[in-house]
Amino acid sequence: MPPITTALGVDTPAEVAARCQALIEAIEHLAPSHILWLPSSTLKSVIDHVERRAGEGVYVSVPLTREEEGIGIAGGLVLAGAKPLLIVQDNGLGNALTALTTFAQPYHLPLLLIVSQRGGLNEYNSMIHTLCERVDDILGAADLRHFKLDERVPVQRWATSVVAAWEHAHMTHRPVVVLCNLLY
Amino acid sequence: MPPLSRFDALQSIATEYPTEPIVVALGTMVREMLLVGRRDNHLYVLDSMGLPAAIGLGIALAPAARRFDKVIAIEGDGGLLMGFSTLATIGLLKPEKLLLVVLDNGAYAATGMQRTAAPAVDLCGAAEACGIRAHNVDAPEDLEAVLRGSHRRPGPALLRVAINEQNRSAPYFLPDPVELTLTFQRYLAGPTTSPLAAPASGLGAGLRGKSTPHGPAGTPPAAP
Ligand SMILES: Cc1ncc(C[n+]2csc(CCOP(=O)(O)OP(=O)(O)O)c2C)c(N)n1
Ligand SMILES: [Mg+2]
Repeated sequence: MPPITTALGVDTPAEVAARCQALIEAIEHLAPSHILWLPSSTLKSVIDHVERRAGEGVYVSVPLTREEEGIGIAGGLVLAGAKPLLIVQDNGLGNALTALTTFAQPYHLPLLLIVSQRGGLNEYNSMIHTLCERVDDILGAADLRHFKLDERVPVQRWATSVVAAWEHAHMTHRPVVVLCNLLY
Repeated sequence: MPPLSRFDALQSIATEYPTEPIVVALGTMVREMLLVGRRDNHLYVLDSMGLPAAIGLGIALAPAARRFDKVIAIEGDGGLLMGFSTLATIGLLKPEKLLLVVLDNGAYAATGMQRTAAPAVDLCGAAEACGIRAHNVDAPEDLEAVLRGSHRRPGPALLRVAINEQNRSAPYFLPDPVELTLTFQRYLAGPTTSPLAAPASGLGAGLRGKSTPHGPAGTPPAAP
């Protein structure tokens, strides 16, 4: 039995790092043309990787000012035949809702959003619950298809699940969200 | 009152750039552009207020934009202010092809001419502060001259065009947006003989060697 812990989480740094590494593997496999991101502290190593690889010319890395801007830029890229990927925090999904429901969904733009999920058990930042706790319901109400990766999904399955979610977005011609709970 | 109407301005843009991709913002903008004429190179953004600059930026960043002189996004003053932070991203990425045209009537016209904050803002100054070349246009002759000169001038650039309060009455435009996507996507893809024709974002794009279910993009109009 692991020792019972409280607010700072039961996961070891190695477990969190393995989940981030799985996201990185998925990103490298998908080979996007552009990666648009608004960071979350839990995704730091993923964004650092994206910036480093973009520096090597592998893809274009774009820091966003707002999440809906990312939907606009990614939508334009899809219309022009490029392969964008979005990485944001669930706290910012509220910002993106109008763009997702008025543009990406009705215009049938396949987009994948890798979204870090915050605000559950063991969340260390009490300021982050208010929107994040409602994200599942909000996505459902907005008819935005989403898949969850958390401690119940073995880390060996994370990368393939992200790739499958990308395929699902293209197969179903719509935006798809992967909610990734990196800390538990 | 500025001499230019929105319709005049839209007509000048559509005439000067008959084959370049043009993203048209919601409401009166889309409906008056349809009075000028429905075109395959126009993307009609039916809602999504504040997003056209970002959409234009995305198109301008894609390899497909290389075939065009410019990628144009037409915004209202209200829409520009709503998506204002995108000016910073445009300034950061400096897409050479992007031309952002702001039709500034100082009002939310589509909803009944309520005032916006635009009269208090130096829109060109704000764009320049973000690293975007900007021009202010007040006279009809100036608009045509500036548009003509913009073809070869590397961007990104913003044109702020003062327009008056005239709104043409135009019918509602209620298509299925998917139709708008497919038309515009095919236009951007160019002729099927072009290597750009197969959308790179399809399922087949680098995924487990699967072939794309989308197939080639039909028979698009000849690329300029
Ligand atoms: C997010 C959002 N808020 C409000 C509206 C309602 N709305 C539609 S058009 C419009 C005015 C747009 O103003 P502007 O961009 O200046 O263009 P104009 O109509 O003046 O040409 C507004 C407020 C909307 N469609 N979406
Ligand atoms: Mg206006």
